[in-house]
Amino acid sequence: MTKFPKNWIYRHTLNTRICHWVMVVSFMYLLYSGIMIFLHFPELYWGKVGFQGYPAIFKLEDWGISWEEAERLGDRRWGRNYHYMFAWIFVVNGFIYLVWNCWQKKFYLKMLPSREELTVSNLKNEFVRHLRFRRLKTNGVVGYNVLQKLSYLFVLFVLFPFMLVSGFAQMPAFTAISPELIDFFGGRQTARTLHVICSALLVLFVLVHLIEMILAGAFNQIRSMVLGKYEINPEESGET
Amino acid sequence: MSKRKVLEDKRQKLLTRRNLIKRAGALGGGLLLTGCDTQFYKPPVVRDGLMGVADIMTMASQRMLMSNEQLVQEHDSSEITKNFPVWNQSNPEDEEYQRLRSTNYQDWRLPVTGLINNPISISLSDLKRMPRRSQTTMHICEQGWSAIAEWTGTPLLSVIQAAGGIKPEAKYIMISAYGGWYEGYDMFDVTHPQTILAYGMNGKDLPLGNGAPLRLRVERHCGYKQLKFIKSIEVVSSVENFGRGTGGLNSDYGFHWYAGA
Repeated sequence: MTKFPKNWIYRHTLNTRICHWVMVVSFMYLLYSGIMIFLHFPELYWGKVGFQGYPAIFKLEDWGISWEEAERLGDRRWGRNYHYMFAWIFVVNGFIYLVWNCWQKKFYLKMLPSREELTVSNLKNEFVRHLRFRRLKTNGVVGYNVLQKLSYLFVLFVLFPFMLVSGFAQMPAFTAISPELIDFFGGRQTARTLHVICSALLVLFVLVHLIEMILAGAFNQIRSMVLGKYEINPEESGET
Repeated sequence: MSKRKVLEDKRQKLLTRRNLIKRAGALGGGLLLTGCDTQFYKPPVVRDGLMGVADIMTMASQRMLMSNEQLVQEHDSSEITKNFPVWNQSNPEDEEYQRLRSTNYQDWRLPVTGLINNPISISLSDLKRMPRRSQTTMHICEQGWSAIAEWTGTPLLSVIQAAGGIKPEAKYIMISAYGGWYEGYDMFDVTHPQTILAYGMNGKDLPLGNGAPLRLRVERHCGYKQLKFIKSIEVVSSVENFGRGTGGLNSDYGFHWYAGA
């Protein structure tokens, strides 16, 4: 029973929406298959070499899951096949997203923080606001806030490429194609460990992303990512 | 960088022009040694659906970046791993194998048969008299571990040459092992200078757990392609008569045939 017309804006283009959901599905599969692979060798090492009995920097055993138990839970054959399949889907999808958004100047228009946003005091205010779970009123809702912009840029241009390259550094083919890449990471096992750490950072990002989405109004947010339209100040439009 | 220089010098000695011509000749001629040939872009049997597409994309993209002039990284002897892991089959429960082992592999013979000009059967001492190559490389297991060892052996290509070279229709080399394992390799890997039949590890005879008396090193692949306890070599034009016909026991089990990763 609204008296006033809702304030709709068109927030996400069709391309962004498709890429987002393809990315969601492939990320979930990559994560799950990655865990399946990891469970078949639940230790992490630093340097060039590492194997059962070699000093590990992380052992799942120390967290209460024995090697045998982990091996039983994991499935590296399934995991490996799907990890590669969804890695390709992720990469092709990411490439389309990257080219499209560069062409449309979306990164520049929507994600690049302005000079005022990057001042120490503003960053501090924004950080405190996030910690207190306070929502921005009025016009701030349309665009991304500065921490959001920075985290999106970090995920898109640092973590995603890092996952890809640290994946390459684990492949035997790259001992011939580019040993320099493996040396750059400091060895094959270091690359593997960093691949796992980086995936944990991505999971952290997804969790924060989901919490923020719920705080900002889950229904409105998900609708905007499915249909594109986004309602500005939903509770106010119905009241006043 | 200096290590790379040393490698290049070593390679130049190994790959003189005459050697290169001989190499190509040994394989019946006309076979490209670079990764640009599309016949090396896909496994012998492509899996169904999106999985098969991903398999080809992985294999093709990596092969495009490779050539057989490019050697895998060799490590310093000081980096050799002590207690190199023994993984998978460590002592085949095979009567014939145990009999050969009891006489220290004196009666062991390697038959090289199939689409080859002069099928032969060679002993371990024959192999040791053939061209030899030592390389200190990293073994990378598909499961996640890696370790470094020095391998000494005969380049697979020299063995093929000794058997008179392959016939024109030959496409794959199937290697069988005691204990029932077998694996197929395409000519791109067979012709690589670092693809060797190794009888030595870290300066000694190959230990039992690591595949005595002879194992394969195909350095650009994961551990599951590095066949141990080698029994025979057969040159074929099609892999369909082996096991479930996918070109190897690992791919029969559902792993990707191409293990560059």
